[in-house]
Amino acid sequence: MSAPEVTSARRAPALRLLTAAALRLWYLLALPAALILLWWWAGAVSGMYYLSSPDVIAATFAEVWFGERFLVDALPSVARLLGGFALAAVLGVALGVGLGLSPRLRALTEPVLEFLRAIPPPVLVPLLMLLAGVSTGMKLLVIVSGCIWPILLNTIEGVRAVDPVLADTCRCYGIGRRRRLTTLILRSASPQIMAGLRQALSIAIILMVISEMFASSSGLGFTIVQFQRSFAIPEMWTGIVLLGLIGFLLSVLFQLVEKRVLAWYNGVRAATRGE
Amino acid sequence: MTSSDTVHGAAGTPMLDVAGLRKVYQGEGRAVEAVRDLTFALADGELACLVGPSGCGKTTLLKCIAGLLRPTSGTVRLAGRGVTSPPPDMAVVFQEYGRSLFPWLTVHANVELPLKEKGLPKERRAELVTGALEAVGLADFAGSHPWQLSGGMQQRVAIARAIAYEPRVLLMDEPFAAVDAQTRADLEDLIRSLWKRFGMTVLFVTHDIDEAVYLGQRVLVLSSSPTVVQDDITVDLPDERDQLTTRSLPRFAELRTRVYAEIQSAKRGPAVAGTAGE
Repeated sequence: MSAPEVTSARRAPALRLLTAAALRLWYLLALPAALILLWWWAGAVSGMYYLSSPDVIAATFAEVWFGERFLVDALPSVARLLGGFALAAVLGVALGVGLGLSPRLRALTEPVLEFLRAIPPPVLVPLLMLLAGVSTGMKLLVIVSGCIWPILLNTIEGVRAVDPVLADTCRCYGIGRRRRLTTLILRSASPQIMAGLRQALSIAIILMVISEMFASSSGLGFTIVQFQRSFAIPEMWTGIVLLGLIGFLLSVLFQLVEKRVLAWYNGVRAATRGE
Repeated sequence: MTSSDTVHGAAGTPMLDVAGLRKVYQGEGRAVEAVRDLTFALADGELACLVGPSGCGKTTLLKCIAGLLRPTSGTVRLAGRGVTSPPPDMAVVFQEYGRSLFPWLTVHANVELPLKEKGLPKERRAELVTGALEAVGLADFAGSHPWQLSGGMQQRVAIARAIAYEPRVLLMDEPFAAVDAQTRADLEDLIRSLWKRFGMTVLFVTHDIDEAVYLGQRVLVLSSSPTVVQDDITVDLPDERDQLTTRSLPRFAELRTRVYAEIQSAKRGPAVAGTAGE
């Protein structure tokens, strides 16, 4: 037995836990800290006006966002983002199941879908402004029009990939339509559906901001543009940081949900790798 | 050379009656005749094995019997009623156990699912699931997921699901082809004991001659594709079977030789023995 092993075994358990926690924290924070320092240094050396230093941004952040603006600009933006995302999820999965199950419907719609998918959603903003006005509806439409595609296409693929043996099993045991949909098709396609939703979430954030930049009187995208136009540079930076934080938080939440929903899938994968 | 007098025509309608079954797959410009003309019947409570050379259309036949595939012509009758879609009195155990269980459901939920669809009350469902899992020796694994179990155990879950469904006919499509030899022997004995206990009619498809002779009361030998029943052999071994003693009986060796010879001749001359079965 080697010497380091003996000492680590003898060390008090509390101390060992503390070391482990410190190590985790180091991995978590080392790179962000280094990047902030780099930023600081770059700002100080270059003396660039537009590169506000991190301490100024931090101080301004509290000033700008801890208050009414959070309720007026940030929360409604997040609500629209989630609303659009949820709408796209429901529509995308419902249409995807329909198209995935019917080869004829797929053949009929494929060229149109490929065309619509190729249109960059931001160019729809001027059009949707005309159709729906500068409203919440327009912003939701922009988000839905962009983030429905990965959900739709992944759902179609997932539904098509349902195992034929499992489908035969369902038929043999007389599993009816409703249970077939909930127990076989949606569950079986859930890995692909989740992959589509993950992509859609990041697209939704982008489109939320874009829809507010064009024509709006509130929201995160509007606020950032507003600060930029009035040369409130540290304030502008805080908006960008807040967007980053929101995206990060949503992705963490999504991962938690995904871990629960796809527990079986990860189990199957681990089991096949172990063989 | 046939034993077709044991097709229990006298004992009323057979449980499973396959008559003149033919299946032709329409390909691009050419038709492939997978099954030519199959006729056989199983009496209520009979355990019969179907063996044939590989690629002889066993799976096609089984899918037609299960109502999963429409035959080109001919009929399948279950207890006198024509089969056009999967009948409620029939359960199927597939070869690919890993793909016939729902990986997102627990063992218990997998066995229970068809019973829910049947609309059985909760207590009855619990009773059937527990009973079936106990019968296959998996009572302790009700809360596990299929992928946490070995291959043999997964196939036993599929068997438990079939038993809990309380079918009158149980179809098994090479169910033990993908498990190791020792597990296979255990599962063969399990099938015999479940068959005796529950008394359902079993049609067991296999490519393994020893397995067919060991398990069945009858062995139906299929010709190579396009398939007909080449021979129908009654297995006159003692009813109590044992992996060691039964397999070392001289009669076992004779039967297995006969089945083997039939399959060899089936491989050589396709469909020459088309009328030999009757």
